[in-house]
Amino acid sequence: MPDAMPELEEMLFELGEVASHPRRMLRQYLAAGKKVVGCMPVYTPEELAHAGGMTPMGLWGGQVTPSLAGKYNPVFTCSIMRSCLEYGMSGVYDGLGCVMMPMLCDTFRGMSAGWRAGVKAIPLVPFIHPQNRTDPGAPAFLTEEYRVVRALLEKHMHCEITDEALEKSIEVYNAHSAAMRSFASAANEHLDVITPAIRHHVFKSALFMPKEEHAARVLAIVRELRKRPTHVWKGKKVILTGITAEPEALLNVLAENGVAVTGDDLAQESRQYRTPIPEGGSPMERLPMERLARQWFDRRGCSMAHETRAARGRMLTDMAKETGADGIVVCLMRFCDVEEYDYPMIAAEAEKAGLHCLCLDIDQSTRDNGQSRTKIQSFVEMGM
Amino acid sequence: MAGNSAGETPGAPAQKPKAPLPKSRALVNEQTAGVYARAWEAHERGEPVGWSTAIFPQELCETFDVPVLYPENNAAAISARHMGEPFIQHAEGEMKYPINICSYARLNMGMADKMRKAESIQTQGIDPAMAPPAFLCLANNSCTQLMKWYENLSRNLNIPVFFVDCLFNYSEEEPAAHKIAYVRGQIENCIRQMEEFFGKKFDWDRFLEVQRISQTNRVLFNEIVALNARKPAPMNGFDLFNYMAPLVICRGKESTTVILTELKKETEAHIAAGTSTFRGEEKHRVHWEGIACWPNLGHNLKTLGGYGVNAVMNGYVTAWDVAYEPGDLDGMARAYQVSSTNSLTTPGIMKKRIASIDRFGCDGMLCHVNRSCKLMTFHIMVGREMIEEEAKVPVANFDGDQSDTRVFSEAQFETRLQGLVEIMSGNRNKNGNKEARHA
Repeated sequence: MPDAMPELEEMLFELGEVASHPRRMLRQYLAAGKKVVGCMPVYTPEELAHAGGMTPMGLWGGQVTPSLAGKYNPVFTCSIMRSCLEYGMSGVYDGLGCVMMPMLCDTFRGMSAGWRAGVKAIPLVPFIHPQNRTDPGAPAFLTEEYRVVRALLEKHMHCEITDEALEKSIEVYNAHSAAMRSFASAANEHLDVITPAIRHHVFKSALFMPKEEHAARVLAIVRELRKRPTHVWKGKKVILTGITAEPEALLNVLAENGVAVTGDDLAQESRQYRTPIPEGGSPMERLPMERLARQWFDRRGCSMAHETRAARGRMLTDMAKETGADGIVVCLMRFCDVEEYDYPMIAAEAEKAGLHCLCLDIDQSTRDNGQSRTKIQSFVEMGM
Repeated sequence: MAGNSAGETPGAPAQKPKAPLPKSRALVNEQTAGVYARAWEAHERGEPVGWSTAIFPQELCETFDVPVLYPENNAAAISARHMGEPFIQHAEGEMKYPINICSYARLNMGMADKMRKAESIQTQGIDPAMAPPAFLCLANNSCTQLMKWYENLSRNLNIPVFFVDCLFNYSEEEPAAHKIAYVRGQIENCIRQMEEFFGKKFDWDRFLEVQRISQTNRVLFNEIVALNARKPAPMNGFDLFNYMAPLVICRGKESTTVILTELKKETEAHIAAGTSTFRGEEKHRVHWEGIACWPNLGHNLKTLGGYGVNAVMNGYVTAWDVAYEPGDLDGMARAYQVSSTNSLTTPGIMKKRIASIDRFGCDGMLCHVNRSCKLMTFHIMVGREMIEEEAKVPVANFDGDQSDTRVFSEAQFETRLQGLVEIMSGNRNKNGNKEARHA
């Protein structure tokens, strides 16, 4: 890295490297003697692993053409799960002590079997979120479910996870989420520096770094951004929604067409950070396991969390209005049925709010973004 | 083996005039028509009609005596009659639902939207036509797509959902105590919410009676299915698909007891007379895995028959074996978490399949890789090795769909079946025929 590189750009570069090389990060952690736990997307209680002194790492697949995973994955499996299984079966994830997996959709249910059959060396720690989120018994159920996760982590990783350590980890994670929200806000004043891809790097790098370290970097970035004069973005602005906006080349196509990202509802990015772990009211609710569980019930507008009066469409149009976005880009992960069921509602809400809505077909493994490029160009040319 | 270019299957029986329906089938048709008619009558009187997922605790609405219709069952019937495409097209077109979601959901949401706009679909020649719902009953024990489907229905129609989240048994052991407590609590909560919505008190004595009837019916169905272990089988295994309806839509009614008692009598009569509803010689017995390809049921039946293959057993029809002791609410909560094999781990399901392959003397397994059912397909892909290694029978897959006619290929189905038949024949020559345990 050149010595003369300004501090802000240097920090952004560093996070870009982390985001682009999770395997390198895994090797570094293992070489340093860390115990690493794989965390499948999304809403995995990685605070438990953190509290046990382990290093949690997000498993979000990658740009790979699977050659092994097809043995256990139907062709209509989403690319994230397909590439995760490929990496598991081909040894890329070797060194992980175990993998936590939430049963949030049918693919995860199937993947729990695929993983056990194909990746025998890395034990699975499965768990399930209660979907009847307004049922009075649901919080107690999830608290108990997390207790089972804690016991399995302790067993597989030979560690102890105490309530005291968990309380501290919760504070670390809440502070990190707040830092990410600050970054999202500060980034919108500096869309010349924070391009769609750089914004993505800052978010994605969080998946592969200890949260206290990542929060420190992100807050430093926010401080540096705030020292600079606000930039007035003359191009178009959009909100991204979906599971991920990968591969990164897609974000570069947005930038090439003068489109900035002013907010997101991506499961890989802001969706994880917009809901703090609550403080809790009663003495019982203030217990750390209870607090961790109750976060699930505060989540809104997510395709993976059941709600009949879905808040997502309105949430997106509000986000667009607040950040001056001209449109909503739905990054629709191919074969992600939970997202696919939400798409008509998002499109209808966008239309009602007078916003343009563009739907891009997302496949992590694709190397040809020609179709998306054409769609984005038309989207921009038509005045969004 | 080369494909049959004429589209005919070797040894296919000559076309015969249609035999009259057995009494049990006529009773099924009568019962189904009655259920739909009663729902329409209630709707016309301004009373609430429910739409329910197929394995929701039906005991609740049965006790409240409120009419309920079942979109999955309806989608299957509409698809079998080749009437589903306009609804699927409407869902994908005007409503913007992607093609990858479940075709039952696309069909039903398309139908619901057309109903909402046109007030009624009775005039559009759709049979059976569902009365519009005033509430929804959701249990996600078959899959998580049901939850998204019902979220959309609830939002689009602005009606409430009574939800029992049945979880997923990601480990092989029995559901843990906290899982049973959560599901039981939801059932109790649903009862309270329904009391308020329907403006009626829940009659716990009637509930016990409904539970007893439900248990009688599921036991009867199991006994009938078990009769097909006989060699040769008294039934064409595909008949079981036709007798699922009473269990799905009327599991807690005495009319189902009457139908199943009649069916059992008819099946026993076949055994006594040495006859079968399977036409021709039963050369091979296979275990069918997955939902039927409803639009292609006739083709599947004819092609299987042409090769002398009887799909004597299938795992799908056992999903309504919701077994518990009447009066035991914990047992009922547990049963709704485990009756659908989609709620179980792949090894858990495959243990059941291996046992039933043995019990029914199956020579092979034919798996429907159902484009609409991701979960079942995962189970097939992971479980295939287990079946081949432990049951020691060949497994063949074919691509299809429960409602979407664009997925299934007649040529592929026949080619895959031919391959399976060749291996089964080869095995028979090597090992001799398997004997059914219950012969």
